[in-house]
Amino acid sequence: MKKIIATLMAGLMAVSVLAGCGGSTGTDSKTSDVNAGKTESDWSYIADKGEMVIGITYFEPMNYMDDNGKLTGFETEFAEKVCEKMGVTPKFQKIDWDSKEVELNAKTIDCIWNGLTITDERKENMDISTPYMENKQVMVAKADKAGKLTSADALSGLTVVAEKKSAGEEVAKTDEFFKNAEYVSVDSQSKALLEVKSGTADVAIIDYVMSIGTLAEGSDYSDLKVVEEKGFSPEQYGIAIRKNSTETLKKLNDAIQAVADEGELKKIAVKYNLDDLLLVEAK
Amino acid sequence: MEQFFNVSQQLLKGFGENSFIFIITLLLALPLGLVVSMGSMSKFKPLKWLTKTFVWIIRGTPLMLQLFVVFYVPPLLSNGNFNFSRINAALIAFVINYAAYFSEIYRGGIESIPRGQYEAGQVLGMTRSQIFFRVVLLQVVKKIIPPIGNEIITLVKDTSLASVIAIPEILMMAKDFSMQGLIWPLFYSALFFLLFCGILTLLFSFIEKKLNYYKG
Repeated sequence: MKKIIATLMAGLMAVSVLAGCGGSTGTDSKTSDVNAGKTESDWSYIADKGEMVIGITYFEPMNYMDDNGKLTGFETEFAEKVCEKMGVTPKFQKIDWDSKEVELNAKTIDCIWNGLTITDERKENMDISTPYMENKQVMVAKADKAGKLTSADALSGLTVVAEKKSAGEEVAKTDEFFKNAEYVSVDSQSKALLEVKSGTADVAIIDYVMSIGTLAEGSDYSDLKVVEEKGFSPEQYGIAIRKNSTETLKKLNDAIQAVADEGELKKIAVKYNLDDLLLVEAK
Repeated sequence: MEQFFNVSQQLLKGFGENSFIFIITLLLALPLGLVVSMGSMSKFKPLKWLTKTFVWIIRGTPLMLQLFVVFYVPPLLSNGNFNFSRINAALIAFVINYAAYFSEIYRGGIESIPRGQYEAGQVLGMTRSQIFFRVVLLQVVKKIIPPIGNEIITLVKDTSLASVIAIPEILMMAKDFSMQGLIWPLFYSALFFLLFCGILTLLFSFIEKKLNYYKG
């Protein structure tokens, strides 16, 4: 009987965890209560371990494997510098992006640092660092069609794809520009590009930053083109940590500023051609 | 060409994870399934119903959800003090899940043996365990080869579900390539599964042929 109860409990927990992903406030306030109830602060938890587990996914130019199979990228180098200032060792853990909030609350990672867009919903559920980089949503289409996407009328009858729950989806659903288009959501940005490439959709709305690495010369997507003239909903990237970890947040923000002051942040951004998007200025 | 080798090498590395999960799951779930099937055929009612409920829960929920439960529920309940490693969590979920499915196949096989054989065994003065291991089990093995083979081939492909708890298996690797602008690795990865399943299919038809000396 105990076993049944335990199994059922586990099942129920899983359901509430998954509901938490969707950002229901009920579950989230419960999880933060649990964290607040513990005496050990988030920072001493991380400091005791001596390492900060950083949740990432692979995408160019943020975190990716170079030709020698070594993890590199803007976020990789940035995080290494910041962790050095915080006195902890960075440990990069690949995660499934859909489960990032669960990973964070389960303490299987200590922060999400992978071009995370700051939104009000995310701010309610997690603590987020000072914005360090700007990003926007752009349209991607086959090169021969890209020039024609100039008005809402031109998009009439076309199919638009974006990643579910992403900033791109927000744009596709709310922006007047897409009011005549048909919207389809897919499970990742690369799937959105695949839809356009294979012709099952006409326009993908993706992160500008992601488009830099993915649409580069020589990739399978090189016949796709970013519509440079039109960008949507400028947004900002931040690093997410567990809710109510005030001390970790302060250490993190101070370390980011320190890295910027030394000019290191700028140097890394220039290396990956992202310097005009940088938000943290050296003081 | 160099790119092709690089991609193949990465995918092969990913497929190593799939193969590892596959082998460990088989080694542990095949015997565990027999234990579970004994439970669900037990004459002791509480044990029987407990086992049946267990099988119902495991077969009645998606494996993907079970992977989530095993990996995320312990740290969420213990505030991060206890968690299985990703690979262990995957192995636990796969072994339990497949043991439940195997147990039903075993049960079907064992119950298909005519009562007369048990009675004949008793008449000859064999003990219950002698009858089971010397008479029944060998016939069961032959009967369940096709359904077990089916399940095992499903397992090969199910291992790619481990990517939901971020195990760098082959499909996840292939998806990473598509993030870098390479689409073909995603479809190329099918070849690895096909080859592996092809070998298994040949192996199973070989075993079936070997066991064909007796018509039960």
